[in-house]
Amino acid sequence: MLETLSLMGAGFLNALTPINLLMMAGGVAMGIVIGCMPGLSAAMGVALMLPMTFTMKPETGLIVLGAIYCGAIFGGSISAILIHTPGTPASAATAIEGYQMTLNGRAGKALFTACYSSFWGGLLSCISLYFFAPLLAQLTLKFRSAEYFWLSIFGLTIIAGVSGKSLVKGLISGALGLLLSTIGLDPITGAKRFMFGQSYFAEGINTTCALIGLFSMSQVFILAEKKIVQRAKATKVTDKMGLSREERKQIRPTIFRSWIIGNLIGILPGAGASIACFLGYNTSRQFSKHKEMFGKGSIEGVAGSEAANNAVTGGSLIPTLTLGIPGESVTAVLMGGLVIQGLTPGPELFGKYAPMTYTFFAGFVLVQFFMLGIGLLGSRGFAQISRLSDAILIPCVTVLCFVGSYAIHKNIMDIVVMLSFGVVGYLMRKFDLNTAAVVLALILGPIGEKGLRNALRSSQGDIGILFSSVVCWVLIALCVVGILSPLFMNRLEKKAEEEAVAGTDEDIEVLTQEDSV
Amino acid sequence: MKKFFALLLALCMIFALAACGSSAPAAPAATEAPAAEEPAENAESTGWAPDGPVNVIVAYKAGSGTDNTARVLAQFAEKYVGQTLVIDNVEGGSGSIGWSKLADADPDGLTLGFINLPNFSSSIVNEMGTYTTASFAPICNHVNETSIVIVRADDDRFPDIDTLVAYAKEHDGELKASTNGPQASNHIGAQAFANSAGFTYIDIPQGGTADQLLSLQNKEADFSVVKVADIAGHIDVTYRILAVFNDERLAELPDVPTLGEKGFYEGWLGSSRLIAAPAGVSDEVIAFYEAAFKAAMEDPDYLAAAEQAGITTLYMDAAATAAVVEQQQAFAEGLTDEFWGA
Repeated sequence: MLETLSLMGAGFLNALTPINLLMMAGGVAMGIVIGCMPGLSAAMGVALMLPMTFTMKPETGLIVLGAIYCGAIFGGSISAILIHTPGTPASAATAIEGYQMTLNGRAGKALFTACYSSFWGGLLSCISLYFFAPLLAQLTLKFRSAEYFWLSIFGLTIIAGVSGKSLVKGLISGALGLLLSTIGLDPITGAKRFMFGQSYFAEGINTTCALIGLFSMSQVFILAEKKIVQRAKATKVTDKMGLSREERKQIRPTIFRSWIIGNLIGILPGAGASIACFLGYNTSRQFSKHKEMFGKGSIEGVAGSEAANNAVTGGSLIPTLTLGIPGESVTAVLMGGLVIQGLTPGPELFGKYAPMTYTFFAGFVLVQFFMLGIGLLGSRGFAQISRLSDAILIPCVTVLCFVGSYAIHKNIMDIVVMLSFGVVGYLMRKFDLNTAAVVLALILGPIGEKGLRNALRSSQGDIGILFSSVVCWVLIALCVVGILSPLFMNRLEKKAEEEAVAGTDEDIEVLTQEDSV
Repeated sequence: MKKFFALLLALCMIFALAACGSSAPAAPAATEAPAAEEPAENAESTGWAPDGPVNVIVAYKAGSGTDNTARVLAQFAEKYVGQTLVIDNVEGGSGSIGWSKLADADPDGLTLGFINLPNFSSSIVNEMGTYTTASFAPICNHVNETSIVIVRADDDRFPDIDTLVAYAKEHDGELKASTNGPQASNHIGAQAFANSAGFTYIDIPQGGTADQLLSLQNKEADFSVVKVADIAGHIDVTYRILAVFNDERLAELPDVPTLGEKGFYEGWLGSSRLIAAPAGVSDEVIAFYEAAFKAAMEDPDYLAAAEQAGITTLYMDAAATAAVVEQQQAFAEGLTDEFWGA
């Protein structure tokens, strides 16, 4: 015990060297820039920087990658809030409330909430990284195919939550996403499904390209359709960046819940920040005392999403470092950096290489403070982006959509997919369908399919395996809560709406147009 | 004010463009300096040398296993090639997109690529691309990873390979093996082992080796076939190795029997990574790179780095490598429905 404590202390001392501090600041700043650019995902940012860390000391290299990771996950929220374009998939849920706040002239407040929540989400996730790493890693071992199936079903129940006005339209969107998720090689037999002879589709639809298309490109089409004056007026940042004491108190429980959610999601392999943000958002909505604000720019919604996605960062490092099983795509890249340094994930990192590991942990803690500082100082600057006229913004976002989707694999087909999804997204929003539900189903579909089919394979067709463990039942209970809560919430919402003053009707009318994402 | 931000955005875009353009050359940049000092020594003997940066296609994403090993070799090979080696990650289509690009590249010696066996062979069998083995000119082998049969270290049922086989036969069709995907390398291994030992089993396909190992660890699966490097650091701690797929025992695992000596699968099975050029390159080009990569793989600095990264280097010349490619192709073509027990 004492030994561990002294290792932790030494870790902080080692992390505080000028070069490490410089790398943290640089990494965070770079991460934020990468994160807030649509199409440049956190995984890509870390992958881009990976080769440069080969020559650094292991701890410094890992700290840089960790800093980019955290910065990018937070950075995604800036563009989500200001231009309704999540910079990374992890901020897709932030766009829902954040952009409404921008429309209401509360962009500054939204950015502050995102930064503040990201900081706490990240910092709290460090605690679990330090203290619960071995313990939480054990939990992952309880997840077999059946549990993964239920996990994805639980995730899909979120569709009901994000559907907004029409549950049916939400379900239609979700079904479309599930259908699209079957494209590619069959995960069990390897048969080619809906590939039309294109090996490009072997690994399914590229989620990032689909996301850029559905969220960003469709946004361009929508923007281009409107009169340019409208937008410039709507997005002027007039408020101060900051939250009152009451508001901080209001989002405190949300941050705490999202930390737990994000951490757990981070630890589970396959489920990353993009799912955590939706879960965090939805939970914040369910527990909120101000449900009437949801869909109209709720700080709790922004906090719920942003605290959750940053809480994933620490969580996903746990299985990466202890089991060598990355919790999500970014840590998979990060693990590549670990291995190239000659470090093998596993017990050695906490034994032989403990000083290095604890230096990295300490660096990860310090990175959160850099993120808060740079985020608060820099967001003001980034906030100005939304003041730009659409005449400038539209071509810029378009270029970023193209560059972003091309940069992932350097494959022209990615641009075709992105554009197709842009058109689909545009049409969906015209018909009030839900693009977020499509993305959600696209991510969760394969996890659920593989889980269900593998579970039934291993039980030789006995459906009882799906109900055979405590974890299964816990997840089933969560699914039921997930499905029922929106119905219950809707009733409460309607009641609240009826009671609401009729004077705000006009506002709501304008906002419902944007409601569909 | 507006102009300023327009400028800022423009800069952002330039950065984005630069970022996507520089993703590949980023790694070799650090080693450019030594490359200049020592121009290709073997250019004189072979009569050919590259006159510009060499594009090296890796069919998997940055940070993947293949990418990591490729970058380690590229870093040390630059000295002997005399030019910058630019790693170009062309991922997707289970590798076939990158290999298609390599097959279609100009055979001028300025484009090379890494090929993974047996994935490459399977992609031809499954018609994932329009290429065949004839579309490539193998240059040399780089990495060989031998398959092994593993169980959990705390699984007392299976102290050795004989008890595993005896149990599997007694409970035919009940044991489960996790794999790294349908008909992927580790599935082939598990099937070959089961066929040779005369039992059937249930395969649980997972998305990759990491998930495959997790599935074994969380007791969903009973055994698995993986490669030695996959469980480095976990041997005897998390997993127990029961047997290796090789003609003779591995030097690093002297106590682990081969499947052959127990009367099961004979010979080597595993995965390998080799360097190839598009078909049609001249013999001089092949000879040049053969010599350059051989020298790189014998470089003490490379060997130290490779050992640190857990790379099991095995150099083979162009002829031997081509033979392996053909042999693996024949093996993959032979994996009929009968092999899979369907």
